[in-house]
Amino acid sequence: MTELRKRVIGVVTVLDGWAVQSFGYARQLPLGKPECVVENLDRWGADEILVLAIDRSRRNLGPDLATLARLATLNLGTPLIYGGGIRSAAEGVAVVQAGADRVCVDALLRDDLPAALNLAGQLGAQAVIAALPLSLDAGELRWRDYRREADTPLHPDVIAAVAGGQFSEALLIDWRHEGRPGGFDPGLLSAFPVQTDRLILFGGLSETEQIATALAHPAVTAVGVGNFLNYREHAVQSFKSGLGGLPVRPPRHPADPRSCPSPS
Amino acid sequence: MSRLGIGIVDYGVGNLTSVGRTLYALGYRCKISSRPEDLDAQDLLVLPGVGAFPPAMAALEARGLTGYLRDRAAAGRPLLGICLGMQLLAESSTEYGLTAGLGLIRGRVCALPSLRSHIGWNQIALAGDDPLFSAVGDETFYFNHSFALECAPGLVRATATLRTTFPVIVRQGAVIGIQFHPEKSQLAGRNLLRNVIHGLCHD
Repeated sequence: MTELRKRVIGVVTVLDGWAVQSFGYARQLPLGKPECVVENLDRWGADEILVLAIDRSRRNLGPDLATLARLATLNLGTPLIYGGGIRSAAEGVAVVQAGADRVCVDALLRDDLPAALNLAGQLGAQAVIAALPLSLDAGELRWRDYRREADTPLHPDVIAAVAGGQFSEALLIDWRHEGRPGGFDPGLLSAFPVQTDRLILFGGLSETEQIATALAHPAVTAVGVGNFLNYREHAVQSFKSGLGGLPVRPPRHPADPRSCPSPS
Repeated sequence: MSRLGIGIVDYGVGNLTSVGRTLYALGYRCKISSRPEDLDAQDLLVLPGVGAFPPAMAALEARGLTGYLRDRAAAGRPLLGICLGMQLLAESSTEYGLTAGLGLIRGRVCALPSLRSHIGWNQIALAGDDPLFSAVGDETFYFNHSFALECAPGLVRATATLRTTFPVIVRQGAVIGIQFHPEKSQLAGRNLLRNVIHGLCHD
């Protein structure tokens, strides 16, 4: 097999410096230190790890460099994506200098799209992901502004930037069904107005069959799984065990010799 | 036996900490610096990098490192470029216009076709029988780039395929470029990194 592998991304939601389980962008339950959750995902061979600091933009705090500094001490062997609070190209660059391999921008797309494009220019488009919290209302695609708790149509300039390859991938977040088992609404995928083969899906992806269906879609390069990786050991391998026939890395993929053995 | 010393070239671009921590975990002494006198004391230099080619070359130039790196490579001392660092080893790049590179690998850097970024885990195909890479099997490695090197086949040690096939490991003497991120490719990447450093420093 020589094709690019589709990815299972472990998503870690961070609130006020703590890892939490998040439900529908509305309710959070504490998990513990982000370092512990991230270290598990690294040991279990996640394909990438996405850390989303969900309070940073709401509170205008800028990126969570303190958490990134703690994660940098872990010597991760897994690529790290960071999103949350990035207000400028300079802050996005600082995130990479603090240890992230890629960055995710969300509020910046609304507040200052040129800054997001400038960031992609500085880091390279491959290092920047456009995060789009979406929902379907009466069949119409709506873009969530979580700071104002309001929904709008996707802005044409954002659509054009994604379509033009200004960002490497678009992260379609089913925010309404986030944390709900089996909740991801596949209608988001068909309603998304850009013809692209670079989409990451996240929010309510909890079942192996559901993940397999998502990854089999030609537009989908990766899925993000959040809460559901925290309910059992070796959850990444367990999910991957059910993805036979898809171009994914094999489930038995130790991150390093520290790794616990895979479940038999 | 003293540990090998690795100098990580700090030119203000990219995620130096990851590379440094990985090398340290592999048992090497690491020095992150932009000062030639610090770098010169190390057995091997790593040139990392994330971002676009022109500002990266400008950053190397601004720190007075381009001449130093060329002189060091001319003296046959080992140099390893990773990701953008590999691309900087080339003669030129077409990213945001034509920009001259370090010229340590004969070749030029061009965009991958069709607005494609090469992101994620991919297998590589070895080319030739360079013993530094002979341990690579069917593992996958983590890529994150939109531009790729074009160079003479004799310099290519491995290729990857994304619609087209392009070099992902190149070697010219003691200068090696790796397009993917071995430091973020879990166990396979770390094993490769160890083999390359050991081979370059003990050749």
